[in-house]
Amino acid sequence: MTAIDRRDGRMARAVSRAARGRPGRTLSGRPARLAGRVAAIVVILLWSLFPIYWALNTSLTTLGAADSTPSHYFPAPLVGSSYGAVLGGSGEGFGSSNELGRSLLNSVIESGAAMVLTVIIAVFAAYAFARLQFRFKRTIFVSVLATLLLPAYATLIPLYRIMASLSLVNTYLGVVLVYVSGFLPLAIWILYNYFNSIPRELEEAAFVDGATPLRALVRVVIPVAAPGIAAAAIISFLLGWAQFLFPLVLTTNLSTQPVTVIVAALNQQRIVPFTLLMACGVLAAAVPGVLAVILNRYIVEGITTGSVK
Amino acid sequence: MSVTFRRRILPYVLVSPLVVFIGALSFVPTVDTTVEAFFRVMPLDPPTQFTGLGNFRALFSDPVITTSWINTAVYVAIGVVLSVVLGVAIAVALKRRFRFRGVLLALIVLPWALPAVVEAVIWNWIYNPTFGVLNSALHSVHLIGGYHLWLGLDRWLTILLIEIVQVWQITPLSVLIILAALQSVPQDLYEAARVDGAGAFSSFRSITLPLIRPAVAVAAVEALVLSLNIFDQVYILNGIAPLGSSIMLQTYVTTFQNLNFGGGYALSLMVTVATALLSMAMLALMYRRAEAT
Repeated sequence: MTAIDRRDGRMARAVSRAARGRPGRTLSGRPARLAGRVAAIVVILLWSLFPIYWALNTSLTTLGAADSTPSHYFPAPLVGSSYGAVLGGSGEGFGSSNELGRSLLNSVIESGAAMVLTVIIAVFAAYAFARLQFRFKRTIFVSVLATLLLPAYATLIPLYRIMASLSLVNTYLGVVLVYVSGFLPLAIWILYNYFNSIPRELEEAAFVDGATPLRALVRVVIPVAAPGIAAAAIISFLLGWAQFLFPLVLTTNLSTQPVTVIVAALNQQRIVPFTLLMACGVLAAAVPGVLAVILNRYIVEGITTGSVK
Repeated sequence: MSVTFRRRILPYVLVSPLVVFIGALSFVPTVDTTVEAFFRVMPLDPPTQFTGLGNFRALFSDPVITTSWINTAVYVAIGVVLSVVLGVAIAVALKRRFRFRGVLLALIVLPWALPAVVEAVIWNWIYNPTFGVLNSALHSVHLIGGYHLWLGLDRWLTILLIEIVQVWQITPLSVLIILAALQSVPQDLYEAARVDGAGAFSSFRSITLPLIRPAVAVAAVEALVLSLNIFDQVYILNGIAPLGSSIMLQTYVTTFQNLNFGGGYALSLMVTVATALLSMAMLALMYRRAEAT
């Protein structure tokens, strides 16, 4: 039996089993069903967005209004002073001026550099895996993908010691190298699947015109694969922005600490008012949040090829 | 250099940066963890020497580590069950196309895209005993008489509430994986079932579930790996107290606060082996059941 026969057989059996089940309600009415769907969507939206709304709500009001019982569900009075305080470094519990701004910059640099490096390395390697023949290809490919199954932290202690021995603790380079090694397998998997979905005829036309494989990759394949590359890039960036344990270990002061480490430290102090803490949280979430909404198409693409294939 | 030679070495040039990165920063460290787990490694108290199973024996006789293993098992159980059930429910609700579904999907993915630490700080405020909105909301609908201290008092409640924060983050992943599978189930199957008199529930149980089972397995394994390695949410919402401690938190504390690197290596090795074995077992189990039906 071929795989398709098996699948059809399974489906046919599924249909007959379903038919044997309880008979369906015949009168469920369109308005009732519509109301049910709307209610379901409202519940899903509340579950997904309420905590984010709550952070915004608290960050946009005064401490007196935030620290009240029962809670105020809308920011009244509406003030933006928390944002001014955390970005100006004037809030209670803020050690240096503009601690948060600097850590945001560190996050941009670290996740941005890790994204660029990951995508460049992954595009070339995934192209070789998808299109070229060479010795040990299968072994290398399988070993790289196998690291996807390793928990990220399996390598935490040795990576710390490697970076310490190279004097790369508390440097951008150390953080970026660790990120890239962690993000490469997923980027390879996304790009490998994307390249395989591109018809080979495209490059063959270029070869007929005398192009080398490298030129075919740069001139023909990369432009066509732009959505796949965007997916690998945005997912790498989001993974980088969200890192906490690795930078907690690999960075020691504000010269390299990303925003996640600073937000955790401010939270730990127990004296930072919740209005300021939520303003920090909103600022730390703003970059990945806006990117995720705008580039949602690529994220969905990346996650579904990254896991289902 | 001749053209053929350049063609022949091209693949090696293309993959060499990858091999260097993964080799030096994934394989070498993994091997290092495996080897050093059997050594006494104390940076402040040399020398480093072979201890056989000494690190493991010390870990197994430490009650905090035992507590953390049990806690982690509970985190995993809650995380896998909740994120898969919610993932299936939300994916089914969003299966049919409607206006603004794209916008809705983009919004649902948000919790996955934000840093877990930031999310945990926000939920910490929601769970706040004096001014938290959870107390306020439950109190105003009379589900609780007075304000509760949610975290740090009752072990299982603390674990449940912390894992809910992680479930909130990882459920979008399950939704996307399961939604992709749902949309590849041919519509005519449902038509055929309906013609034969099947209701919505029996269609779901007999057609949808068997056909999306591989996707459910993938979502379950993702949730398993993420919850087995839970750190950020525990660090923020529980601190380093044993009450809600996870095994990854103990790895961090053992290594970087107690500076017992050997113990940290041994814990890392055990988590790695547990992750690999459990995820393979779960995939095998769910795929075999999919084949059997």
